[in-house]
Amino acid sequence: MANIFPRWTNWLPLKLFIAALVLGAAVVWGVTYYFTPKYTRVGYMPQQPVNFEHAIHVNQLGMDCRYCHVGVETSPNSTIPTTQTCMNCHKQVKKDSPALAAVRESWETGKPIPWVRIHQVPDYVYFNHAAHVNRGVSCVSCHGQVNQMRVMYQDQPQSMSWCLECHRSPEKKIRPMNEVYHLDWKPESEKAQLEMGKKLVKDWNIDPPKSCAGCHR
Amino acid sequence: MKRIWQHPEAEKGKTGKNYWRSLGELSNTPDFRDWLEREFPQGAAEWSTDDGLSRRNFLRLMGASMALAGLGLSACRRPEAHLVPFTKTPEWLIPGKYLHYSTAMPRRNGAMPLQVKSYNGRPIKIEGNPLHPYSMGKSDAFAQATILELYDPERSRSFLKDGKPIDRKTFDEALEQLKQSWSGGADRKLAFLVDETCCPTRERFRSELFPDSIWCVYEPLLTGNSSEAASLAFGGGVKVLPHYDKADLIFSVDCDFLECHDGNLKSIRDFMNGRRVRKPGDKMNRLYAVESHYTITGATADHRLRLPASHTGAFVLALAKELVRSGVESGLAELVSAIDNNPETVLGVDKNWIREAARDLIEHRRRCLVVIGDRQPTSVHILGLAINEALGNLDNTLSVIEKKQEPGWNITELADAIGNGSVETLVIVGGNPVYNSPVDIDWKKLLKKVPTVIRLGMHEDETSALSHWHVPQAHYLESWSDAWAEDGSYLSLQPMILPLHGGLSDLELMASLAGVSFNDSLELVQETFRGVVKKRWDAFKFEEQWNRFLHDGFLEDSAAKVKKISFDVINRCVDFLKRNPLRAEPLAEDRLELVFVADRRVDDGRFVNNAWMQEFPDPITKMTWENAALMSPTTAKKLGIVNETVKGIMMVDKVKISWAGRSIEAPVLITPGSCDFSLALPVGYGREITGKIGEGSGFNAYALRVSDAAYFAVGASIKKVDGKYDLALTQEHNVMEGRALVREAPLEYFNQDPNFTDKMGIDAHAPSGPSFYHVPPMNAPHQWGMSIDLTTCTGCNACVVACQSENNIPVVGKDQVQRGREMHWIRIDRYFSGEDEEDPQMMMQPIACMQCENAPCETVCPVNATVHNDEGLNVMAYNRCIGTRYCANNCPYKVRRFNFFDFNQRPIDELYKGPLAPKGTPELLKMSKNPNVTVRMRGVMEKCTFCVQRLEMAKIDWRAKQGASPDVTIPANSVQTACQQACPADAIVFGNLKDEDSEIAKVKTLKHDYALLEYLNIKPRVSYLGRIRNPNPKMPGADKIGMTTINEMHHHGHEENDGKEH
Repeated sequence: MANIFPRWTNWLPLKLFIAALVLGAAVVWGVTYYFTPKYTRVGYMPQQPVNFEHAIHVNQLGMDCRYCHVGVETSPNSTIPTTQTCMNCHKQVKKDSPALAAVRESWETGKPIPWVRIHQVPDYVYFNHAAHVNRGVSCVSCHGQVNQMRVMYQDQPQSMSWCLECHRSPEKKIRPMNEVYHLDWKPESEKAQLEMGKKLVKDWNIDPPKSCAGCHR
Repeated sequence: MKRIWQHPEAEKGKTGKNYWRSLGELSNTPDFRDWLEREFPQGAAEWSTDDGLSRRNFLRLMGASMALAGLGLSACRRPEAHLVPFTKTPEWLIPGKYLHYSTAMPRRNGAMPLQVKSYNGRPIKIEGNPLHPYSMGKSDAFAQATILELYDPERSRSFLKDGKPIDRKTFDEALEQLKQSWSGGADRKLAFLVDETCCPTRERFRSELFPDSIWCVYEPLLTGNSSEAASLAFGGGVKVLPHYDKADLIFSVDCDFLECHDGNLKSIRDFMNGRRVRKPGDKMNRLYAVESHYTITGATADHRLRLPASHTGAFVLALAKELVRSGVESGLAELVSAIDNNPETVLGVDKNWIREAARDLIEHRRRCLVVIGDRQPTSVHILGLAINEALGNLDNTLSVIEKKQEPGWNITELADAIGNGSVETLVIVGGNPVYNSPVDIDWKKLLKKVPTVIRLGMHEDETSALSHWHVPQAHYLESWSDAWAEDGSYLSLQPMILPLHGGLSDLELMASLAGVSFNDSLELVQETFRGVVKKRWDAFKFEEQWNRFLHDGFLEDSAAKVKKISFDVINRCVDFLKRNPLRAEPLAEDRLELVFVADRRVDDGRFVNNAWMQEFPDPITKMTWENAALMSPTTAKKLGIVNETVKGIMMVDKVKISWAGRSIEAPVLITPGSCDFSLALPVGYGREITGKIGEGSGFNAYALRVSDAAYFAVGASIKKVDGKYDLALTQEHNVMEGRALVREAPLEYFNQDPNFTDKMGIDAHAPSGPSFYHVPPMNAPHQWGMSIDLTTCTGCNACVVACQSENNIPVVGKDQVQRGREMHWIRIDRYFSGEDEEDPQMMMQPIACMQCENAPCETVCPVNATVHNDEGLNVMAYNRCIGTRYCANNCPYKVRRFNFFDFNQRPIDELYKGPLAPKGTPELLKMSKNPNVTVRMRGVMEKCTFCVQRLEMAKIDWRAKQGASPDVTIPANSVQTACQQACPADAIVFGNLKDEDSEIAKVKTLKHDYALLEYLNIKPRVSYLGRIRNPNPKMPGADKIGMTTINEMHHHGHEENDGKEH
């Protein structure tokens, strides 16, 4: 009787085993890559060209976010301060500090300071700062307690599902307009937040976009 | 199995044949049937194996690229990116926000006032200047396309000496030497050959700096005949300005005033404002058009007469005689009898046509307007003026204003001077005279006689090749200048960006030639401005006035004053008319007429390297990427010339056209509506030296053009040559057949039955009922909707290019257009109607995504990439799209466009190269993109979004401004889509349907508003206003005008509710 199975089937179990191994490895790699905060870069804290401390400027000196991030109320982008903004004060304050050498150099040569970008949404996402800060969404909701950061890092995942969490239930995050730039402000309790949030959502007619065109164009 | 939806058939004998879109369709060839019945145009969805990449090769390459991707896994994490702020904070600029600057685009008949949108320091979009009456915020396709012209990677980048690159310093030194050699008043030996930019500073230079030099202005499509006639009739230095807003009857003779070539947007708007019928009883103007080949003016006309361009003079004379016979007195009668040396009738024109038209003119005394096309000779213009004068139109619908430019030498005079050897230095500014001047001027020989030829040009072209020095020219968006608008008002031009390639502006070159020292060309313009305003104000606050001038883009009340001059017809003009008699020579198939026409896409050839202009379909022929000689079906039949559609591609015969000892070869496209034995030759193509886009496209019609027959010539003959030629027409793609798509009626009919659009075609029968599909809730405060008025739409394509610029739409090239893969989000369907193949009526219908509430595309998308939002938009999420193209299959309007290739990443001649071939957009072209719209990649579907980026921006800006307030609805009419903003005729209305104050909410309640394919119950958000024509019932053939849809698709005897029972 001839063989029912051709000869090459002898190696089939081994081949299947190797294939399963490769597949398994791919799954493990995929999960570790895509399902960890590293993917969303939470905690990303690159070395900046100047060791700028938000903690000193905001908490110690009491500066408002908008002194440096000028365009935030009107523009989609929150402006990264120009060298001139730094030099407004640092012409007088700490004018010889070695930590500010790079800033002075930029001011003299006219070459901009290449700040390393931390928060970055994909190119097909059109996030708009003005839309948020003018309607009761605080900086802290997306950027964390920047006022306490000695070195700037990414605090929130800023993924689509994370965005939608708030867009679906804005009452959980919304706050009175005069507290938007107070990063230390906290609601009395979760219940109080919900109560206030619901009222604000109703009073201000807030209905964040939940469909594609809100962010993708 | 594919389910074929059988659209309800039209009644027997009423096949809807009267709306046909091409000759193939009318004759219903088998190939056309095949084309129609396919889901996609032939080839659009197929992988062609003769393109050098077989399936096997493709798989091999794919394998290789997968392997490489594996090796490249190290790049998995996001790369480090940088945020680079300014060092010094620039005034006004907030990153991420647009800035708008006023400027103007120089045009040959007066500049067009513009407002340029600039993003982070780079101009990205052109809009009209809303403050100036010559734009009112509107613009045209040419103005829109100058953004791409600015960023054209093939613009001239360096100074050249005898074709070799040199640096600026060498040129400056040579210029110094040249100037020294002039000492001793050699000015007479300096000649300028300039294009027309209507620039006051240039005129000032001419009179102040070069009073003794030869100054020749040459524009291939500017005759000056009209102003010559005005000068003869009224005395020198004047021109006539028509006022379409005051005219109830416009009689256009070979005059395409609705086309934007001359940039006169005011005429279009004024004319269309007189045509906007909203309810029964509204007044509507009437347009008669006499023309040789179809133009968009002819398409809009209520009565159109086909007449060879060379017969036009005789026709105008016949009209004048008819007017006299019908009782018009004044000087016209004397004039006509004094020059009566002509045959009584114009060849082949119905006498009744002339008689009734003349009577209509007389009935509209002082409220009518006769306009004559610029290409007609001066004598016809004089006759036109005499008719206007006799009808009392002068100072009513036509006024005489001061002309601000002095006439210069004409090009033949300059050529003679060069021939005599009396020119030592020739400065050619702009234009491209070697390519586009009359062929009897032999530049190759002439320029050898000039010791120094300096050429300032934006591209290295035919003229640069014959010049000793080539200087790169700065674009108008890169330079300081000023200009006169057509009405003579004083406009400012300011740079939006520093010259990208270090070019010089015309003013800078002229000032350097004259030895004027300046730091910035701004000073040169300010000097002129000072001169202008000093006359106006005693208290002179320069800074304030200058800033105001720049901000507004023009000087208030600076338009030329209307002159009240009486027209002494007899004394001034009879002699001229006697010397230049008006004749109509008979035409025949061996004695053809040639008409040189401006191309609607590349103008006189200046836009030939502009891919947007090359790819937009000509409004009449729907041709892209090249030109063809146009002739009527009868002429073609007599000459044995055929056009046929082979596998969806228009294959045409090529012919050799001979005239006066010269000949050219050209493909011939048969166009209904052309007059017999007349051949239209669009100029501007067939360039020898230009960039990659323009190279090898079309034939050069200038090669037949001589100085004494520059616009039309009689006596040409043609001979068929071997071989077929393939044209890229968008015409027969995506046909919707036999349904009442464009709906029209004459004004009288509309007055009696304003609801006529609802009683046509299948929609009159279709029951309106619930849908099986679940309609998503649409309860947001904004509900977007659009209405397009088919009466006022001319089909000029301004919207198409505006949309392309706003939405980063790529171009695909001729080959891909032939496969039906063009990407324009708006297509303008052009329909012919009437059973006469020779002389049909024409109508335009712009079609973009209809944003159906019950969108059929949404239900078939397997990945939810196209969904509905609560504002009624059918939104597209590109990053979700996997390219199944189900949506495009299921779209009844065929408005979805698929990226078959990486059109943005690859040059159009390298689309078929494999995945390993180099990719990437040139940096310069990246700068032209709108940063607020995704640049789509291969394999992604796209379509009109109602400019969702503008809507979102408007909403956000409003809410940010209102802050903690419940007022979230943007004010009525505060947002415009790109197409609406560009439309010079204001045919598009867009806005929030929920807002009662908005224009759109009002327009949608009009009786003649209708939706396309309403019976499908998909509830489109875009609707149309039925087209209304205003024929004169006494004219011959008037009973057929505007009646096609009524006769063919209107089912008489149906009550409004009757349809429900079917």
